[in-house]
Amino acid sequence: MTQAFDYKKQILEPIKSLRGAPREEMYLPGHRTCSGCGPALNYRLVAKAAGKETIFIGPTGCMYVANSSYLCTPYAVAWIHSQITNGGAVASGIEAAYKTLMRRGKYDGPFPNVIVMAGDGGSVDIGLQAMSGLMYRGHDVLFICYDNESYANTGIQTSPTSPYGANTTFTPPGKLIPEGKTLFPKDPPQLVIGGHPAVKYVATTCVSYPLDLMNKVRKALNYDGPTFLHMLAPCPKGWKFDEKLTLDMGRLAVETGMWTIYEWENGQYKYSHIPKKYQPVGEYMKYQGRFSHLKAEHIARMQAFVDAKIQRIKAIPVEAPVPTPKSGSKSRA
Amino acid sequence: MAQEKMLSGCAAAAQGAKFAEVEVICSFPIRPYTAIMMELARMVANGELDAEFIHGEGEHAQVSVALGASAAGARAYTGSSGVGVTYAFEVYSPAAGGRYPLQMAIADRTLDPPGDFGSEHTDAMSARDQGWLMGWAATPQEVFDNTVINYRVGEDPRIMLPQFVCQDGYFLSHIPDKVILPELSQVREFLPPYRAPHPLSPQCPVSHGPQIRPDQGAPMDAQRAMTFLDLPKVIEKATDDFNRIFGRNYDPFLEKYKMEDAEIAFFIQGAHANTCKSAINHLRSQGVKAGMVRPRWIRPWPTEQITEALSQVKVVGCVESSTSYGGATRGGNLIHEVRTSLYDLDKRPLVTSFMAGLGGDVIMLEDFYYMAKILTQMAKDKKTHQLVYWVGFEEEI
Repeated sequence: MTQAFDYKKQILEPIKSLRGAPREEMYLPGHRTCSGCGPALNYRLVAKAAGKETIFIGPTGCMYVANSSYLCTPYAVAWIHSQITNGGAVASGIEAAYKTLMRRGKYDGPFPNVIVMAGDGGSVDIGLQAMSGLMYRGHDVLFICYDNESYANTGIQTSPTSPYGANTTFTPPGKLIPEGKTLFPKDPPQLVIGGHPAVKYVATTCVSYPLDLMNKVRKALNYDGPTFLHMLAPCPKGWKFDEKLTLDMGRLAVETGMWTIYEWENGQYKYSHIPKKYQPVGEYMKYQGRFSHLKAEHIARMQAFVDAKIQRIKAIPVEAPVPTPKSGSKSRA
Repeated sequence: MAQEKMLSGCAAAAQGAKFAEVEVICSFPIRPYTAIMMELARMVANGELDAEFIHGEGEHAQVSVALGASAAGARAYTGSSGVGVTYAFEVYSPAAGGRYPLQMAIADRTLDPPGDFGSEHTDAMSARDQGWLMGWAATPQEVFDNTVINYRVGEDPRIMLPQFVCQDGYFLSHIPDKVILPELSQVREFLPPYRAPHPLSPQCPVSHGPQIRPDQGAPMDAQRAMTFLDLPKVIEKATDDFNRIFGRNYDPFLEKYKMEDAEIAFFIQGAHANTCKSAINHLRSQGVKAGMVRPRWIRPWPTEQITEALSQVKVVGCVESSTSYGGATRGGNLIHEVRTSLYDLDKRPLVTSFMAGLGGDVIMLEDFYYMAKILTQMAKDKKTHQLVYWVGFEEEI
């Protein structure tokens, strides 16, 4: 606790190009996700970037139910299921265990990458309390919210990150509620940034930008202490788009301003992938059946929401993400 | 040198955890168990114990943190009381099903509403079927001993199950008594370091807790149930070793008091047993052949031992300190299993139950005399008049 101890922290180098990414897969084929699944591709990239000295915590969600069939799970690294409620807490316990075990000489490997792969519900809805507890206490854990914008595994029910106007099975459009979902979504990174002084690094990314995604994973893991990544993971089934368009949906989200890519590091925002000219949100929404019931006035409301969000970006100095600084083994108090 | 100290049940539990050299501790405040965590926080802060002390954001997180730590191969410790015990409920089955031998101390407290700090066993009893070991201590010494014994039994490679180590709130948790603290070397001889067979580790990349098909569920349930068949012999061996190394004299499963020639028997768990024994001394002086059986474990339920211990008496009175609203007797929980344990005897005793010690009520000597009067009457009439008596609320007899 109080004495300085060298926990043999791993340092992961930045990946310079897709061609230069590790060949070795840590998330293998054979799972049962839908074709075109954004979260599955997301998982593959995260696992590849993290490498084999990794422990995943998988709260209940698509990436548990459709992935982890007994005796044929896709994880080539250590993985544990947690309840949808407690990913952050289970991860805290694992991280704490390694601290004591290493201090007592019972584990001689490098300090493992401890990564929670939680869906939007497991991050900022039913899992919010455990996630916040982890962030507050300063555990050396990367918490990833892979956001497919609904409780997809249970049949596409609204979550706090489902967008305004989404047709989900809990927000069906009807005569009295024509737009389906009437609320605007929670903002996960802001929840983390806004109230957790132990957190030094938060970033957003999207599966359509694999190099950005993998480098943010590595950068987050190199930090001592809690980090948070919010990843947009398009869901063909939940959003009702053609399964071959998964990556296009991610790109269109960025090009319309529906999704923004940024880093928040030691209090500074750095945006990247800002389009020269934003496309109207309708260009993104028109491919997705979840929005097909919306009328022009609803789309205008969505546009106004996005415009306000983009306005905020312009007030912040814009830079490209910085590469990971090289450093040796660190010791922590 | 072993030392004798005056310790409350909470302080004794904390000492038990310290001597067990726990590696990860997770706290959240709720009375009365909180005093355990206050002690452990002090030990960690002043370097008496090298462990990670984590402030959980609630009881659900406490058990989750302990589960994660146990999965990673650390000896994990947590605890709670009352509604804290029920708030953590979701994580009990995953902890047992995942075979993570973490330990949770429970100092009983009445559930809400209304808010009541008093002791009652309903909090812990509500979790008794989640696949954990469970048992009540009757003295601070037994709290210390049970903490160490439970880790030994729960971490046995044949068992690998989490443990609820229970004590009555206040009556035990906050009243000091003499406790012998052993040498650390004695504890190390008794309790080997925890070795998880498949720790969650990059050096052993396994998946914990994957999805199964419905047809795979029954075999896993059966396997868990089978573990409880192995438990008695593991508990017996652990108790024998404990008695030998620490110079104690525990029966593995039951404390029996004046049962040799008893005609009426109290069946009671926890610290109220101490009052019960005093009552029995008085009753004996009045010529009433009373005795007492106190289970040290209720999970596993020591069926054979209870059958044997109660087979010769005429009447059994289960003193219930927990509620089972709408259950078979409309009263408590223990009577169901006591009756089941006696059902196949050719000549089985009559069995009734007494609702007493609820909401933190003290069970007074007079209450035991009242119960004894009912049991004596039953023996005379050879008849169970009522399945349950609410002590203090019945008409005078």
